[in-house]
Amino acid sequence: MTGPLRPDLAEKLAGAAGYGVDLDVPGMLWGALVLAPVAHGRLTGVDLAPARALPGVVAIGAEDLPRLLPGREGDRERPAFPTDTIVYRNQPVAAVAAPTLARAREAARAVTVHVEPLPAVVDVESRFPDWPGPEAAGRPEIAAHVRARHGDVEAAFRDAGTVVREIYRTASVHPVALEPHACVADVEGDRWHVRTSTQSPFGVREDVASILGLPESSIVVEGTWVGGGFGGKGASFVEPWALLLAKAAGRPVRLALTYREEFLLGRTTLPAVVRMETAVRDGRITARRVRLLLDVGTSLPGRDFTTGYSIGFLLGPYRTPVFEVEGYAVRTNKPPFGPHRAPFAPQCAFMVESHLEHVAREAGLDPLAFKADHLWQEGDTTPLGQPVLPFGLRTAFEAARGLAAEWRRSAPPGHGIGVGVGFWSTSTGAGGEARVTLTPEGIRIDQAERDIGSGSVLVGLAAVAERRSHLPRERIRVAYADTAHAPYDAGVFGSRTVGALGRAVDEALVEILGRLGARLAARGPVTLGVEDGEVVVRADGGSRPLRALVTPEEERAGGLTASGKHYGRSGVIDEHRVLDGTFYAYTDFTGAAHVAEVAVDRDTGSVRVVRYAAFHDVGTVIDPFTARAQVEGGVGMGIGTALTEEAIWSPEGRLVNPGLLDYRIPTLGEVPPIDVTFVEGFRGAGPFGAKGLGEPPIIPVPATIASAVRDAVGAHVTELPLNPERVTRALSRTNGTEQGP
Amino acid sequence: MTAPAPPRCRVNGRSVDLGDVPPGERLLDTLRWRLALKGTKEGCRTGSCGACTVLVDGKSALSCLTLTREIEGSAVTTIEGAPDDPEGARVRAAFEAVGALQCGYCTPGFVMALAGLLKERGRGGSFDELLEDLGGNLCRCTGYAAIVRAAASLRTEEAEP
Repeated sequence: MTGPLRPDLAEKLAGAAGYGVDLDVPGMLWGALVLAPVAHGRLTGVDLAPARALPGVVAIGAEDLPRLLPGREGDRERPAFPTDTIVYRNQPVAAVAAPTLARAREAARAVTVHVEPLPAVVDVESRFPDWPGPEAAGRPEIAAHVRARHGDVEAAFRDAGTVVREIYRTASVHPVALEPHACVADVEGDRWHVRTSTQSPFGVREDVASILGLPESSIVVEGTWVGGGFGGKGASFVEPWALLLAKAAGRPVRLALTYREEFLLGRTTLPAVVRMETAVRDGRITARRVRLLLDVGTSLPGRDFTTGYSIGFLLGPYRTPVFEVEGYAVRTNKPPFGPHRAPFAPQCAFMVESHLEHVAREAGLDPLAFKADHLWQEGDTTPLGQPVLPFGLRTAFEAARGLAAEWRRSAPPGHGIGVGVGFWSTSTGAGGEARVTLTPEGIRIDQAERDIGSGSVLVGLAAVAERRSHLPRERIRVAYADTAHAPYDAGVFGSRTVGALGRAVDEALVEILGRLGARLAARGPVTLGVEDGEVVVRADGGSRPLRALVTPEEERAGGLTASGKHYGRSGVIDEHRVLDGTFYAYTDFTGAAHVAEVAVDRDTGSVRVVRYAAFHDVGTVIDPFTARAQVEGGVGMGIGTALTEEAIWSPEGRLVNPGLLDYRIPTLGEVPPIDVTFVEGFRGAGPFGAKGLGEPPIIPVPATIASAVRDAVGAHVTELPLNPERVTRALSRTNGTEQGP
Repeated sequence: MTAPAPPRCRVNGRSVDLGDVPPGERLLDTLRWRLALKGTKEGCRTGSCGACTVLVDGKSALSCLTLTREIEGSAVTTIEGAPDDPEGARVRAAFEAVGALQCGYCTPGFVMALAGLLKERGRGGSFDELLEDLGGNLCRCTGYAAIVRAAASLRTEEAEP
């Protein structure tokens, strides 16, 4: 390739890329939010008069909604502002806009919120100290209940040679995109327009329509450059408030969260408690029982998908003939649960990997051999009864195991080597459409998404088109438009961009190449190239300028155009095994095995990752540069989940560490060099057999590091993160009773 | 008697009148909203993330913790002025060559911080020390790997005669 590694390098390095926070339009006002002072309470009044008394200030609350949205009724379950009950601390209860940010902040502070506090439910274990019984499933604080079972679980546990029972706990983690949520809204007549930093313009449109009770056709969402997403910008956040302020003010309004507000209002992957029981007989897993209590904050009943989805990840990619699983999504007085790069999957992988390693040790077996014996391969069946599709995890695992043995030979005392695995499925179920236009200058791809940094849009879609057409990358341009002009796409999340949107691009391009092939009466494949600065069409050993093959009608239309759509299908699970709730089948099977070397300080419990290697089944590598970058970035983020990141709430529901000094993400010195190896040939659901790669790299990291910590000092840590406090506690618990390396 | 000269500083080589800047205004806000130099990014506003790093008289500074009036008479270089700064230009070229960014939000801060370190250290100090001094700049996308590769390429460049 001769062009730049990514098409956005020059613009971003010039400081010229406009993100949501950079939006500045003439005459705009600055918005600010008024936040609830308690985690739970009866709202008796919001006095906006002191704010409105300030010059140039517009202030709105729940009572203004009928005036701003006459005849409209938004979703009562998620109103823009609460009318009677506060359900989490810092829930926005009103919003203000002013000619300056300082004035807006002053106005927000001037608003008085009258609340009668109610007892808050903050911690799921305190709420259900004896674990919820069957009667809990219908209670309002249970947002979801899932249960599945297969085989004679009781008999398997009765007849087992070894039974291991453990409890695991994981912490709340925040996406920490460095750019806060920010948008500028503008309302003219019936046109509600918002420019915003988002992973999903169409998702924001859908949310805004639902929250404000507007038809989607009157809302236009335009994406900006996105300063990191990681799941945190996958749904609407500040947009409804900004639009309401703009409507009230009759002027554009900018609303951006402060970084403190990012944490205070932020949607995080919330804490969980998991009970795991495993029965082993003659070196084989004969049965597993997994029970999950997942804190989902103020997520709405019926909208939680994580519980059902993560149960599969808690069983892990291991042959399990008999099982019983049950999960409760528990509502608490915290902000709603939000996705964070492979939502809850790294935590699940940590729990199942640490548990099965412990099981193997208790049964007197070699943990890695025990895992290798049980890892799924194509032809196996998942516990929920879905046939396993081509899956390279076993190949990745054996490579990791070999490297771990090598590293172990050279590791100094106090160091440990760990191996961990994670699995995932490319989320191609959500739909994507793209329009491809071919002209003598090259290919243009029209679609809805802004690149969120991963390169999946700007590099991934172009690489798919390059691979299909053979046209050099610098002749392929990925364009975007707002929701009024672009074809629909669900969003840049779920590792789905190349898999789903890429398939749409490929389908459109195949149609165009097919049309050209028919005109040439080609017998073999048709590809494109560049000769004398112009696109040529190649087939059967010859080449013709595209210009000579374009009809006058196509020339008038601006080129050959075709649209592609991809609405993927996932596999099927055995519904007989499902007793309650919704479980999900996988579209394809993607996974990784990682190796870490850590140094552990026995006295302080601090853990340093010394070196790291990742082996990933990606089906087919579409772009080597961005693929490697995704793995490096995912591992870097996973080191935070493993070692430091934890949003902590007080018993009253106050977030005690709303800032980057106290919520610590990895710094440059804390991420070691990462060796990346791809396993190809196990085809996935994406174009050319590609599998998603945005999320998988973070999944095995906490498990791998925990395994290395145990190898180093014998500490079996059953909670995330593995901070010094937890490591020293585990060390003192196991001191003298467990062997080191 | 003539009126005292208004307070001034230079930003990317251009003279800027600070007369209207309130005493409490942060350099970050002056750059972004008064001078429309949006390349300098606002992250935490508490000095924890490094996204707002600029050069003040050739030394890297967190513009969110710098009051504009306290740099009167100084020369400020932002990412927009980096091409005209020898170290800034080198760092930008290194980032481009290895593709050392993803979302790009931390990039201006990293480029300016690294340019400042190169000026400060010249050829002295070890590579590890250089990396340690970059610990105040956070990146959530890259796992820092590509940024370290960019820094290493500058190091190699320096080692050559």
